[in-house]
Amino acid sequence: MSQLKITNLNKTYPNGTKALVDVNLELSKGMFGLLGPNGAGKSSLMRTLATLQEADSGTATLGDIDMLGDPQSVRKILGYLPQEFGVYPRITAAQLLDHVATLKGILNKKERNELVDYLLQKVNLYNERNKSVKGFSGGMKQRVGIAQALIGNPQLIIVDEPTAGLDPGERNRFHNLLAEVGEEVIVILSTHIVDDVRELCTDMAIMNFGRIVYNGQPADALSALNGKIWRKVIERSEKENYQNNYNVISDKMVAGRPQIHVLSDADPGNGFEEVPPNLEDVFFVRCQGG
Amino acid sequence: MFSEFFKKELFTGLKRPMVYIFMFIVGLLVFGAVVSDNVQIGGVVGDVKKNAPTVVGRFVGILNVFGMLFAVAFFNNAALRDHKYGFFEILFSTPISKAGYFFGRFIGAWILSCLVMVGIYIGFIIGAAIGPAMHWIGPERMGDTPWLAFFNSFVLFVIPNMLLVGSIIFTLATRFKSTIISFLGALFIILGYSISASLMSDVDNQSLAALVDVFGIRAYAVDIQYYSPFEMNTTTMGFSGNLLKNRLLWTTVALVILFLSYLTFSFSAKAKKVKKKKAGDANQKQSVFQKPTISISADKTPTWKHFASFFKINFLSMAKSATFIIILAFAVIMLVGNIWGGFEYFGLKSYPVTYKMLDEVNGISSLFVLIILVFFSGELVWRDRDSHISEVIDGTPHQSMVSLIAKALSLVVLATTIHMFLVLIAIIYQAVNGYTNFEVGLYLMDFLSGPFIMYLFWATIFVFIQVLVNQKYLAYFLSVLSLFLVDLIIAALKIDSNMVVLGSTPSTRYSDMNGFGPGMEAQLWFSAYWLIFGVVLLIIAGMFWPRGMNKSIKDRFAVGRKSLSTSYYSSLGFFSLTWVAIAGFVYYNTQVLNPYFNSETELEQQVEYEKNYKHFENAPLPSMTDLTFNIDIFPEDRAVKSKVDITITNKTSKPIDSLHFTVLEEDYVSIEIPNSKLVHGEKGTFYYIYQLDQTLAPGDSMQMVCKYDYLPKGFENRVTTTKFVRNGTFFNNGDILPTFGYQKRFEVSDKNRRKKYDLPERDRMPELQATCSHVCMKNYLTEGSADWVNVETFISTSEDQIAIAPGSLVSQSTENGRNKYHYKVDTPSQNFYAFISAKYEVARRKWKGIDLEVYYHKEHEVNVEGMLDAVQKSLEYFTTHFGPYYHNQARIIEFPRYASFAQAFPGTMPYSEALGFIIDLEDETKNNVVDAVIAHEMGHQYWAHQVIGAAMQGSTMLSESFAEYSSLMVMKQESDPVEMKDFIKYDLQRYLRGRSRETEKELPLAKVENQGHIHYGKGSVILYALQDYIGEAKVNNALRGFLEEYRYQEPPYPTSNDFMRYLKQEVPDSLQSLLVDWFDEITFYDLRLEEVTCVKNANGKYDISLDIIAKKTKASEAGEMTDVTIADWVDVGFYKDRDEKELMFRERVYMNQENTKLNFTLDELPAKAAVDPLRILIDRVYKDNRKTVSLE
Repeated sequence: MSQLKITNLNKTYPNGTKALVDVNLELSKGMFGLLGPNGAGKSSLMRTLATLQEADSGTATLGDIDMLGDPQSVRKILGYLPQEFGVYPRITAAQLLDHVATLKGILNKKERNELVDYLLQKVNLYNERNKSVKGFSGGMKQRVGIAQALIGNPQLIIVDEPTAGLDPGERNRFHNLLAEVGEEVIVILSTHIVDDVRELCTDMAIMNFGRIVYNGQPADALSALNGKIWRKVIERSEKENYQNNYNVISDKMVAGRPQIHVLSDADPGNGFEEVPPNLEDVFFVRCQGG
Repeated sequence: MFSEFFKKELFTGLKRPMVYIFMFIVGLLVFGAVVSDNVQIGGVVGDVKKNAPTVVGRFVGILNVFGMLFAVAFFNNAALRDHKYGFFEILFSTPISKAGYFFGRFIGAWILSCLVMVGIYIGFIIGAAIGPAMHWIGPERMGDTPWLAFFNSFVLFVIPNMLLVGSIIFTLATRFKSTIISFLGALFIILGYSISASLMSDVDNQSLAALVDVFGIRAYAVDIQYYSPFEMNTTTMGFSGNLLKNRLLWTTVALVILFLSYLTFSFSAKAKKVKKKKAGDANQKQSVFQKPTISISADKTPTWKHFASFFKINFLSMAKSATFIIILAFAVIMLVGNIWGGFEYFGLKSYPVTYKMLDEVNGISSLFVLIILVFFSGELVWRDRDSHISEVIDGTPHQSMVSLIAKALSLVVLATTIHMFLVLIAIIYQAVNGYTNFEVGLYLMDFLSGPFIMYLFWATIFVFIQVLVNQKYLAYFLSVLSLFLVDLIIAALKIDSNMVVLGSTPSTRYSDMNGFGPGMEAQLWFSAYWLIFGVVLLIIAGMFWPRGMNKSIKDRFAVGRKSLSTSYYSSLGFFSLTWVAIAGFVYYNTQVLNPYFNSETELEQQVEYEKNYKHFENAPLPSMTDLTFNIDIFPEDRAVKSKVDITITNKTSKPIDSLHFTVLEEDYVSIEIPNSKLVHGEKGTFYYIYQLDQTLAPGDSMQMVCKYDYLPKGFENRVTTTKFVRNGTFFNNGDILPTFGYQKRFEVSDKNRRKKYDLPERDRMPELQATCSHVCMKNYLTEGSADWVNVETFISTSEDQIAIAPGSLVSQSTENGRNKYHYKVDTPSQNFYAFISAKYEVARRKWKGIDLEVYYHKEHEVNVEGMLDAVQKSLEYFTTHFGPYYHNQARIIEFPRYASFAQAFPGTMPYSEALGFIIDLEDETKNNVVDAVIAHEMGHQYWAHQVIGAAMQGSTMLSESFAEYSSLMVMKQESDPVEMKDFIKYDLQRYLRGRSRETEKELPLAKVENQGHIHYGKGSVILYALQDYIGEAKVNNALRGFLEEYRYQEPPYPTSNDFMRYLKQEVPDSLQSLLVDWFDEITFYDLRLEEVTCVKNANGKYDISLDIIAKKTKASEAGEMTDVTIADWVDVGFYKDRDEKELMFRERVYMNQENTKLNFTLDELPAKAAVDPLRILIDRVYKDNRKTVSLE
């Protein structure tokens, strides 16, 4: 499949928020992870690529397709799961998927039925196919959303925070499903869950304040931090002290006590121990810079 | 705690614009109604001041209904605010007091709701100050500021109504936490209001209806229904009467609801229902599906399939929604409620013919469909976004236009579903009532030609508004506004064209005789005009469809443009051009081919006419004596050609040197007068003067010819004439002839309009004079242009129709596919007769040498025999008691229901198809209203056609009151006095209602100025009472004596004084005062039965004692009431049964003081006692005249 190329994409909202600042990216077949804190501009980027939002300037091409100028062509090969996926009241899962399938151009009724059945089974909702989606739990709704994104052999799949609300089993199943389709097409996975990216993606980018702050392979990102991440378990009362004196990139609770990671080229001493960097560290380090 | 929530609710509300916007709307409405006559709320007429206390009461009542919708917003907000923002879980877990929270919020919202209504009073005050200052309205139309009425109406209407509405809405909102349910609650309240309205239409249920009306509007209406203009201006609503009872009832209801609501109110969040999974589901076996190979359509735009899928999803989700189902249920309930009682007409039922059902179905369907269209247009346009699925749908490769069209059409199909459901119920109703002529095709035709197109139109308009505005609630507001505000603006600008009033078309009226009638062609063209307009708007909306996350118009347009194909632009071009072409064609037809004047211009023409020609009013005029009509009717073209040869004679004592004519239908009339020249008259003046070469000396005669040539061209903006139609042509001589001289009836009559145009005050009629002057030389019907004339008619029509003219049929032939008739009137008659042509069946009967005939539409044969009976019964009574009948025929002729009256011409009585032909008389063995109307028109063969009054006050008593009396006497032959009460009741009510709407002044019966409520209503009640007091024979003697003196007499014509001369001779001295009370003055009785006691005496009989209050009042012409001492004979009686069907005892008692105590001994125990049990005296309130008798 062809390449997705984003050049100098900019978007400023009427209230002055800079959602996209000079975004440049090149993506090819495979899973691409887009990491970033809330409000970093991930969704703006996704929506722009999904033809749902106008950019102020810049270009995006998918092979020969001018994505910003010819949205209809993009829509024909697009599978999109938005961050907020809701459903119509009083419409069943099967009816909903059937509707989307029709809109995506699968006009043969029999094929459509087979596809809907197949996808419902894939997302483990076949037994609930004739129930109103409105009554589904958050996870079930999300699965319907995943199913609809896979309709019609999409060449570009954009999924925005797909695993939010899924239990671990569902999440694994979803990852498998994505990996299966992701071999052949471009999949952009936006998330703030670092593990999702680690498990799935060959390529990734980190966004913050509308900018791409990192773009590359997860492994490269990790190796760049080799030997620079130090960990220590501290008392809660000491937190402020440490934050003043060290470059603390994260703190989280482990067994009821704060555990901090600091970035340091040399051993900071004072009881810190070196740990191998993980993607979370990459994330925090990259976002700190912004 | 309470004050905290209360203050928060109140001050938050006060800081927001909503209160002020609503207040402004209310104030503006009132202001408009006060300063102009174009904005109407509840109707104020004539002498009633624009800010009279009763007007304030009525406005406040009616605007409360609007206010309710505002109140819903406040109460719903108060109840749901914390839920909406998800704050409730936090708030309710704090230790706040339940009462403080509940009542604090409630009372805050209550005060806000009441505050909005203060706008009414501001509107009144500002209107009363600015209106006269800006010369919009005369200062005499304003009274003093009615502060007391302001206060009382606020206390009696606003506060309790808002309490009631609030208690219901607040309860619903706290319970269901759904804005939709809250609004449905409001809908339910409106329903209660309309149910009470339909109860109200039946006379006996008034006090019940007054009580069940939730807003108290009807209670107040009942209280003031018989007020004269004077009382309207002076009486402020008080804490009494039906209104007080109503208010107490509903305030209690409100408090109970509120209290119960408080008791059951709980802070804990509504537990969500957890549905149990069915056990079997998990174990259900299923095969494993393989990923199918799918083919994605190469078709560039699989438009149709996309459309079908969008349509299905849209329609399903709307049709299954609670809102739709509830609204449908409401519509059904209302329809059933409306048709349940049948089509009441003077106590009888009409057959449920299809056109009646159509009226009902269309009325209800249009109301509910508009609600549905407005509501779901917003829901549909916003559905994807509200359901958070818009990003998915917008990201699929469909055309926005397809989605948009699917939305509009699914709305229309939803509307159609409601309509068809109602039609189904209508058909079931017909079947249940044994009416089996199911005209399904007619239902469909009617739907497709009218409502369907309107629903399509409004669906596109509302969707357009929603898309363009892109703010759901603002768009709702604009949608509702578009429904009537445009009309108001255009009415204010006085543009009458249907082309500029959104969705407006000429109306058609289905008639069994004439189908959809002459308006159909225009309706279809206008429908096409609006429909294509809607389509163009929808296509434009496609350009702005908010696809994706783009909000601003600019962004939406930028995105929209990208996905628009050439087919989009070509269809936009095609429909725009089509619309322009249709608009041009409609414009050509309605403005160029058939120009018309708007109401303002017409008024100005009237003013000009009066100013320029009034001085000719008393110029000497000749009279017509002989007329020969040659009329050719071409029903299929709606065309009529006539040529009338007229002999005119100078009956005055002065020579006549010129002939003056008033010609209203200038386009069609032409006048040919030999040896004369036209010296004045051009189109638009309506007044033509021909100078005679040779003066017409007194007593001399001459010939002239009048032609009339009507051929409709194209179609009109609104149907101007329903006289010439394909089946049921019906016009009279006045329609095709010019009138002689200046016509007073063409003057502006409304006194406020006259003032506006600087016209002098005008008398409706010349004053009644003791000695006759020149006014007695004219009768009020022909106004001097003719007295008794000889008429001969040669009339032709198409081969399948019968043409009828006055008089005996001399000959008849069929030539060249046309039926030709020659009629001649047997005796010189009034110059007032009709010409008719339609496809008729004829029923004939011969009675004493007179041909009785009914010409009727084929399907309307059911009552025809009964009608012949009624004609015969009338003739029997009249020939016995009044004198001979001078024609050789008595014809009843059915005409289409464009008018719903019956009319008497010499020997012929055209009778509307809406009146007697479809009334269900199956269970009626005795008299009924069909007979009554026939007897009335037959009565006119004597009263108006044998003797007619001079053109002055009192003249219509001599025809209309007498005809109505004659009719009652025919009825009385077969009905007992108690049954007659039912007829009298309607006449009495007609009088009392009519006088409260009097625009100029009320007059005593003997001076009536062609006022229907007096000459029909009061006249018949008084003459009926008179024959009860002095005897039928005596009244008939007076009538016969009067008739014999003046029958077919040349002028001078008689006046009401001449009749009173005969009547006085018949009345015993003891009752002479009645003549003054009843004929010369305006008198009311106020009779009340205060107390009834009944004991069984030793003989096994019943001793009953009655405490009676009897008062008499006289009204001035302006309605001012003065008490006078009573000294009259009044009936006292006892009914055997509670339904007042059998009067077991009646005695006439002389009462000369206010309090009378009477004792009776009866053999049997009566159910009810009553003063004036037969209701023959004019008493404004009858309810207090009777009481149930119970044994002590």
